[in-house]
Amino acid sequence: MKHFSYTITDPVGIHARPAGIIVRAVKPFASSFTITKGDKSVNLKKLMALMGMGIKCGDTVDIKVEGPDEDAAAEALEKLFKENL
Amino acid sequence: MDNRKCAQEIYELVGKRENLVSAAHCATRLRLVTNDNSKVDMKKLEEVEGVKGVFSSNGQLQIIIGTGVVNKVYDEFLSISGMTAATKADVKAAAAAKQPLPFRMIKALGDVFVPILPAIVAAGLMMGLLEGMTKIWPDMANSGTYQIFHLFSNAAFVFLPILIAVSAARVFGGNIFLGAVIGMIMVHTDLVNAWSVAGMLENGEKIPQAVVWFGLYKINLTGYQGHVIPVIIAVWFMCLLEKKLHEKVPEMIDLFVTPLVTVLVTGYLTLTIFGPVFSTLEEWILIAVQWIIKIPYGLGAAVAGAIYPLTVVAGVHHMYNTVEARMLSTGKNTWMPIASSANFAQGAACFAVALKTKNQKFKNLALPSSLSAFLGITEPAIFGVNLRLVKPLICGMIGGACGAAVGAMLGIGATAYGVTGLFGFLTCADFIWQYAIMLAVSFAVSFTLSWFLHHDKTEEDGEAAEEAPAAPEITCESGKVYAPIKGNVIPSAQIPDETFAAGVLGEGIGIEPEEGVVYAPFDGEISSTTDTKHAVGISSPDGMELLIHVGVNTVAMEGDGFELFCAEGDKVKAGQKLITFDIDKIKAAGYSTTTAVLVTNSDDYAGLEIKEGACEPLDCVITLRTDEPAEEAKTEEAKTEEA
Repeated sequence: MKHFSYTITDPVGIHARPAGIIVRAVKPFASSFTITKGDKSVNLKKLMALMGMGIKCGDTVDIKVEGPDEDAAAEALEKLFKENL
Repeated sequence: MDNRKCAQEIYELVGKRENLVSAAHCATRLRLVTNDNSKVDMKKLEEVEGVKGVFSSNGQLQIIIGTGVVNKVYDEFLSISGMTAATKADVKAAAAAKQPLPFRMIKALGDVFVPILPAIVAAGLMMGLLEGMTKIWPDMANSGTYQIFHLFSNAAFVFLPILIAVSAARVFGGNIFLGAVIGMIMVHTDLVNAWSVAGMLENGEKIPQAVVWFGLYKINLTGYQGHVIPVIIAVWFMCLLEKKLHEKVPEMIDLFVTPLVTVLVTGYLTLTIFGPVFSTLEEWILIAVQWIIKIPYGLGAAVAGAIYPLTVVAGVHHMYNTVEARMLSTGKNTWMPIASSANFAQGAACFAVALKTKNQKFKNLALPSSLSAFLGITEPAIFGVNLRLVKPLICGMIGGACGAAVGAMLGIGATAYGVTGLFGFLTCADFIWQYAIMLAVSFAVSFTLSWFLHHDKTEEDGEAAEEAPAAPEITCESGKVYAPIKGNVIPSAQIPDETFAAGVLGEGIGIEPEEGVVYAPFDGEISSTTDTKHAVGISSPDGMELLIHVGVNTVAMEGDGFELFCAEGDKVKAGQKLITFDIDKIKAAGYSTTTAVLVTNSDDYAGLEIKEGACEPLDCVITLRTDEPAEEAKTEEAKTEEA
């Protein structure tokens, strides 16, 4: 299992568009992804659930990746977060 | 796949008979209403072989099984559970309960008659043809084949109360077999046949009587052959009683007490109260009719011609034989032209509907029904078409009145009774051209009025309820998205934003809004909202996830100009207001108002069809294609485009 934390810097947080980009990015991976903010955790492959988290600028999220391709997946995702959020 | 096994497993997993209220099926699904959905093991249900999916919606448990198989599983399910086929009608009855009483009564009458129409259309046509032919070749009546055919032709009419009782029991939600018993009681061979009563009275014979209610009064032991209304009233009462008894009687003795008490009480009340009250009414109608036709200058005939179809609805028209027989004993039968005009006019009104309607199914019903009416048997036309639409019935009544007045003024009189319509020529040999004019007038007036007054719309309403039986309960069809906003629909690829256009968030449509209101596009649950109030996610019970994102980049407006009317986790109904937004404010802020309506899990579906162009709220705009062919069959008019 891999995990990393990230603090959102995008002024509008994870709204529809970034959520879509994240979901698209993680879907090809076989691993399972969990994003946690506070006491709420959701599956990162579920767009609605991710949007429902209401993640805003300044929030710190914790992301867990677990599965056969977790190394590549975690790396790609972290890069994506840094570039977009 | 073993249908029986599949049905058996479903039966056990839904909590057996004690948890089941009703069962129905549509093209692909088994639709069950349970007492307590929480007793249903949804997980295990999904694992049953043959079950393709399970979800619960509006209190209905829907089990997807698939076209062609679901009806077989349903039959097995009924046999295992011991339930009777019902519920299409129940659902309709529930929907109809909101209408005013006269409409409900007409609707109930229609609902009862529609399923048995094939039987009475066949009988009506056969009877009309046979009666006409025997007038042309009187010798034919002696032939054995004729006698056998004659038997076929009147079977449905002689035993009409049984057909009606079974159908009515289904409509009113009672046991159909108990309903049949009530119908059989009413035409029991130990009672004097209603068709023979007129003749017996004419010959001075006595009708057997029975003392009832401990000597309070006597009733005539006559049957109710050819009757409609008393049967429906009796069965309606029976269903009420049966349901009450099922509630009150302890379960241990319910099985024998309820049917016994139901039949005893209903049967006795029917023969001693409902029936006699109705027979008395019949006699009054007869007296009234005889008085009316004495009014001179064709006026009386016109009134009689107008009300004639109503007496057919009431089922008292066969009593007219008494009137006709009496007339013939003193001269000409002047009642026959009145009846003939009335029947012909109903046929013409029905014919106009048949020609005008675009609904093929309805056309197929209306055409033979009108033909039967031209031959003098109007029940199929009246009950199957005219009464259900009301307007053609009235047009026919006007036409009938005109024809009857003309007939009376021309002094037409028949030399026999029993036939009307086209074959009526045979009994009016002295008045051939007058009779032709009379029929032509009836036809022309009735057909013209009906042609101009009938609009497919009203009829479609009735038909829609029939073709989509579950519509009142489940307003939304699974796999369909109804327009959340009034505006113009464009393919999602044309939304002025890369992310939406590229389908990153899923496939769907864009709507260029004309009104700043977002309505729920189907029944479902709000799965996400945002603090900026510009977007909402909604998921349907069968797993469709939809994102409605108002405008492009409007997240930056931080909620200004938006108002949210729902919260995460809310259950919403299609058409419920979810968001309002200020179109001008969005434009002033420099953003596009184009709203993305995207199926975020479109990957789970085989594809989707969209309907482009102007849309009103709740027009169907997206249809998802799954592997179930039945779901896409209904979208022929949707302009298709692979998105």
